[in-house]
Amino acid sequence: MTRYISARLLATVPVVAGVTFAVFAMLFLIPGDPVKMMLSEFQTNPEQIARMRAQLHLDEPFYRQYGRFVWGAAHGNLGESIRDRRPVTAEITEVLPATAQLATGALAFAALLGITLGIAAAIRQNSWWDLGSTAVALAGVSMPSFWLGLLLIFVFSLHLGWLPAAGGGGAGHLIMPAVALGLGAAAIIARLTRSSMLEVLRMEYMTTARAKGLAGPGIVLRHGLPNALIPIVTIFGLQFGSLLAGTVIIETVFGRPGIGRLLVNAILDKDFPLVQGVVLFVAVGYVLINLAVDVIYAAIDPRIRYG
Amino acid sequence: MRTAPRASWGVGVALLIIALAGSGGGAATRGGALTVGLDQDPPTIDPHASPSAVTYQITSSVLENLLFQGTDGKIVPWLATGYRVSPDGKSFTFTLRKDVTFTDGAPLTAAAVKWNFDRIVDPNFKAGGALVALTGYTGSKVIDEHTVQVNFKQAYAPFLSYAAGSTLAMVSPKTTPTQGDAVNQKPVGSGPYVVTEYAQKDHITIARNADYDRKAPWSDHQGPPYLDRIVFKIIPEPGTRVATIESGETQMISALNAPAAVLGRLERNKGLRVERVPYPGAPRIWLLNVTAPPTNDLRVRQALNFGVNRAAFVESVYKGLGRPACAPLTQAMLADPSLCAAYPYNPQKAAQLLDEAGWKMGPNNIRMKDGKPLVILINSINYGAGNLPEIELLQGQLLQLGIDARLKSQARPPWYEDNYHCATNGPVMFLRSTDWDGLYALFDSATVHTNFNWSCYSNPEVDRLITEGKAVFDPAKRREVYLRLEKILVEQAVTVPLVDEFSVWVLHGNVRGLRFNYSAYPVLSDVSIGK
Repeated sequence: MTRYISARLLATVPVVAGVTFAVFAMLFLIPGDPVKMMLSEFQTNPEQIARMRAQLHLDEPFYRQYGRFVWGAAHGNLGESIRDRRPVTAEITEVLPATAQLATGALAFAALLGITLGIAAAIRQNSWWDLGSTAVALAGVSMPSFWLGLLLIFVFSLHLGWLPAAGGGGAGHLIMPAVALGLGAAAIIARLTRSSMLEVLRMEYMTTARAKGLAGPGIVLRHGLPNALIPIVTIFGLQFGSLLAGTVIIETVFGRPGIGRLLVNAILDKDFPLVQGVVLFVAVGYVLINLAVDVIYAAIDPRIRYG
Repeated sequence: MRTAPRASWGVGVALLIIALAGSGGGAATRGGALTVGLDQDPPTIDPHASPSAVTYQITSSVLENLLFQGTDGKIVPWLATGYRVSPDGKSFTFTLRKDVTFTDGAPLTAAAVKWNFDRIVDPNFKAGGALVALTGYTGSKVIDEHTVQVNFKQAYAPFLSYAAGSTLAMVSPKTTPTQGDAVNQKPVGSGPYVVTEYAQKDHITIARNADYDRKAPWSDHQGPPYLDRIVFKIIPEPGTRVATIESGETQMISALNAPAAVLGRLERNKGLRVERVPYPGAPRIWLLNVTAPPTNDLRVRQALNFGVNRAAFVESVYKGLGRPACAPLTQAMLADPSLCAAYPYNPQKAAQLLDEAGWKMGPNNIRMKDGKPLVILINSINYGAGNLPEIELLQGQLLQLGIDARLKSQARPPWYEDNYHCATNGPVMFLRSTDWDGLYALFDSATVHTNFNWSCYSNPEVDRLITEGKAVFDPAKRREVYLRLEKILVEQAVTVPLVDEFSVWVLHGNVRGLRFNYSAYPVLSDVSIGK
């Protein structure tokens, strides 16, 4: 297992290098000068533009700029944001907890709702429970998260006054964004849990358990669920990626600080160092989460062993 | 003391008076907190480094300038008690108040003023909008502890307006050099509020400066501000921002990008109040590329001016957010009946001019010349949610004239590049400027291929008048120069001015004492929250 984890961690290096190079190259190739854009709200002149380009090393060729990034990153320095004039690491670490909080909240909500609905639908197949679960799943998959977010704000902030509409902060600020972000994932998890659970319920060991006199929720939770969870855990890793993509929209709708908003704004501003830094963080995070999923996979299914 | 150039007013002042009248009277209540919803986060709140207007919506209540320019356009002393301009217009001597200290205890001295200006032009400093405000700066001379002379290479009349502008606000020479990156989040000034918290992309808190014992030029009282603190919350999504003011989560919001229909709903809400102040500078304006066909033909450009229905913009997309524009400077800055009379909406006249230019109506209601359709390519900025609504309205109006207007819909980076390279028939944009000299950026031949001469227009007479305007200090004579300039630009139809925009804010009915400076940034030191 240790060898497996070490190998996977080592494999992160080319992945991250490839991703950052591709992103840097794409940004470089798109027409547009970050300095001209940044100075565009007020009058400027060619001298000021040239001066700032030189200060930010944007007058250097591609390979030197990328080399500067790699050298800095290897030494723990991701450079300074062009727009915000602050170290990229500070920019990221300041908003990272907010995104982690949102992603965790959304994933927890998705797991709780999805697994509950999935089990209910499976054990009461073709009943109203099943139909209701299917309807919730359909709604969750169909509704765009920004629309759901605005709808939640309309009901719970504007009309009921129960929850704050905007900003980061405590649990009150997290509920609506987590629901808006997590409902889509909950729908997918619910459908997967249902089919996985249906398959498990028909297994011979379940019949044996019933023949031995086990019944009720115990048999489902103790014998059925652990086996049904194996494919669901895999989907968690994949959902992490889409949740991260979804944070961009949710963070904007709810005025929350976070990695998604930081990245999109950085791309729109062609803020090279900030884009590179965030991509680096996200790529490493994605690899680590999927590694964690694989490790958990082995833990819950003793048949799986990594050599 | 020389007086400042005075903008010509009219409807702008009337609007402001109505706005202030609506802000309620009675004794101000002390204490409490105000939450303000802003549309975007500032990149930095260091006034000298920022390239972004949103910075100054915050710093206008925190930092102070040598001079102040109110919404009436008058320039009055602030940290300076007065100023003299040398006969050649190259030197400005300011006498400073002796009772000003920054919030770190450092006194405001001539050396502090010199340090501030020198900081901006320092080649190692990444200056923002402040740098161009000091164009031609050759240095400052400390005459005595409270007298400083600021020198320029050439006569520089716009400096008075810029010295009153937020980009040239004073920060403490004691703390600033020791702050490093922190200056971007907590600049130290001398104003009625102090920045106490900066939560990136979330909120910025400013708190009452209890030691503030002066009376600011706009203020109704001497001493510290009424509120304990103000929280600026960053809420980019307009729908969410509007929901927060309706739910009470915020007590004041910027109405930027709020759809016209929503603004109407907010105005009907008796618990809320909408305040508008006209922006100075250039209106929402279509810059016509005079070097690319077919907009290189004066008759086509004039036809566009006659054929675009500005009132329709105000009645639909800009309802409550602006009024029809007449010229490259807003009417709040320079109003003259001749400018508005130049191009009344007249589609027949537009059709006649297009006919004269050889563009005859062809099949499918598109005009043709030499077998080619009349195509105009508009550079349209797309922030990810499609073209801006005014662009689509413009496209529709041009179709009625027989023009096939095509939108080059693109993200900010390529949009700018095309403007710099004169690659389309022009973009729709705006420019905020507190001096008539803003026309330099838009129309001087030196600013082709930079910002903002995206009409790619070059006219020696215009260049001459722009240079002359920088050297004239007498307000009446200065107005004459810029009016002549505007008339040439209007006659030559270098642009299609669309809408003079307003800075629009929505407040709870009990929020009183909101003031604005000339840049239309809110100034919050007189704000109180009534019972």
